[in-house]
Amino acid sequence: MTELRIIQNFIGYRALIAAEEGAAVAQLEATLTKLGLSVAYAEVEAGAARLDEAALSGEQAVLFADADLNVTLESAAQELLAQLPVIGLIGVEAPSRLKAIMRLGATATLRKPVYGGSVYSALFVGVNAFRQRRALSVEIAEHERRRHGRRYLIKAILHVMEAAGCDEDAAYDRLRRESMRQRLSIEDYCERFMRALPGAHEPSIRFQGTTNAEKSQQGGK
Amino acid sequence: MTIGRYRIGVMFSDSGPYGTVSRSMRNGALLSFAEIARQGGNGPAFEPVVVDPAGAPGRYPELAAELLGQGIRHVVGCYTSSSRKDVIPQFEKHDALLWYPSHYEGFESAPNVIYTGAAPNHHIIPLIRYLLANVGKRAYCVGSNYIWAWENNRILREGLAAAGGSVIAERYLAVGETDHSKVIAAILEAKPDFVFNTLIGTSAYTFFRDFRAACAAYGIDQAREIPIASCSLSEPELAEIGPAAMDGHLSSSVYFASIPTATNRHFVEAYGAMFPQGPNVSADAEASYVAVKLLAAAIAAAGSDDVERVRAAVADARVAAPQGEVWIDPTTNHAFLTPRIGRSSAQGQFDVVYAARQPAEPDPYLVQTAPRYAAASRPKLKVVR
Repeated sequence: MTELRIIQNFIGYRALIAAEEGAAVAQLEATLTKLGLSVAYAEVEAGAARLDEAALSGEQAVLFADADLNVTLESAAQELLAQLPVIGLIGVEAPSRLKAIMRLGATATLRKPVYGGSVYSALFVGVNAFRQRRALSVEIAEHERRRHGRRYLIKAILHVMEAAGCDEDAAYDRLRRESMRQRLSIEDYCERFMRALPGAHEPSIRFQGTTNAEKSQQGGK
Repeated sequence: MTIGRYRIGVMFSDSGPYGTVSRSMRNGALLSFAEIARQGGNGPAFEPVVVDPAGAPGRYPELAAELLGQGIRHVVGCYTSSSRKDVIPQFEKHDALLWYPSHYEGFESAPNVIYTGAAPNHHIIPLIRYLLANVGKRAYCVGSNYIWAWENNRILREGLAAAGGSVIAERYLAVGETDHSKVIAAILEAKPDFVFNTLIGTSAYTFFRDFRAACAAYGIDQAREIPIASCSLSEPELAEIGPAAMDGHLSSSVYFASIPTATNRHFVEAYGAMFPQGPNVSADAEASYVAVKLLAAAIAAAGSDDVERVRAAVADARVAAPQGEVWIDPTTNHAFLTPRIGRSSAQGQFDVVYAARQPAEPDPYLVQTAPRYAAASRPKLKVVR
């Protein structure tokens, strides 16, 4: 797996601030503008910030969520939030408030009132930690998917041992070589191999998550 | 217009490892005050209150607190980034303004600081473009082990990589280190197209001399075959390097004493007349001179030294500076300045080999030029089983 590249220049990013406009976040907005981001505020009503889908969507967005507010989400926004870096704005350092921004998935924090000199660091760490975390979950999902595919590997080894009259190491080597030649993971190759055999049954396991081919199309980030 | 008399702090180190450049900055500020006083007229009068931290890091915040505690609201001062960072809390506490007149590595834009020296897009970016077009693509980096060197080397590495070039190695020496034998041997072995120097003070001056001598011993014409490029190498530093090795070095700077305009000639002559003992005029001395002019213009326009009003007024102030017209960008509090590249001569001056056509907008966070992604570290290959 290639190393995840670190983002250092945030020009063109959109910052959504879910906080009451005022002195506590004035420096946040000013500094984000200097850093090349466009800034919008979430609608705050009766002490709660409402986030809508349009404001959260897109790759280059980052949410600054005030822990002192009750940040409520539309149901559709919940899924989008998983794709969005969140930086917590901390006023009261109480466990309930800290837990609330953890739930939103915050990967960095800023103390209120926000001091201009700390914004770039929080943005840099927050966005890049979020990207690392997201890349790790994609990787874990892929490993999990392949783990489920191990049964086809076992079946394929037994089949090759019987058909070719070799031991399990030789059977594994043969399958691995062929999977590499076809640029497939050994599990994916073995699944295809077993399904292609005459009289193969429909598999009892349905794979979840992205395939390798889909994943490589998303790559390069 | 309210005519007033205002006391302005001037805080530069007279001695210590960077005393030469720092003294030239203090001199630039004092020349500016003297000229304003001589002009007289109906404008406000200024009284510079000079303090000297003598290069001791702890003295900067102490002296800043002293000045601001006396009711002074504006201080022209600081050369190193660490001293600036140390005093900023004092300026925030007293809601005062620091007029910071040194080139630096950027990535800051404090509301209580006005930056009149060059931002990284004024020095390192034009230097990379010049080197790629005129010198070569393979760099060897030598620097003093602190933020100025690390950050400039990072920007150089990204700039060269984008153009298919490379940094052969980055070598860091402790501030004040003067034994360069190992790094010079490594450079001669690597044969780069140029050396990128971010050494400061005595480390830099001895490196320039030792590298020239080592090249000569191998029959290498150092200035032509392995030139040394620096950001903001200045005239007082050429004098410190000495006549045997002061020529043929490239420097990126918004100001050189050789700029052939009447305003600059007047500045250089007036500076020489007021400070015959030196040190020579430098880019940072010019930035200090300009800082005082901008400060005076803003206080005159505001009719007060109130920080809020001065900050608003400085956005409209323009100064016909020795380097050309200078003004402040109110978004970043940094100055519009004119990038230039100079090559040093045996007379201890720089011949300007490139000058931007107009002042460049400051970009302290390099949002207009830095690539989206940081340079990747070396690719890691592993055996797949």
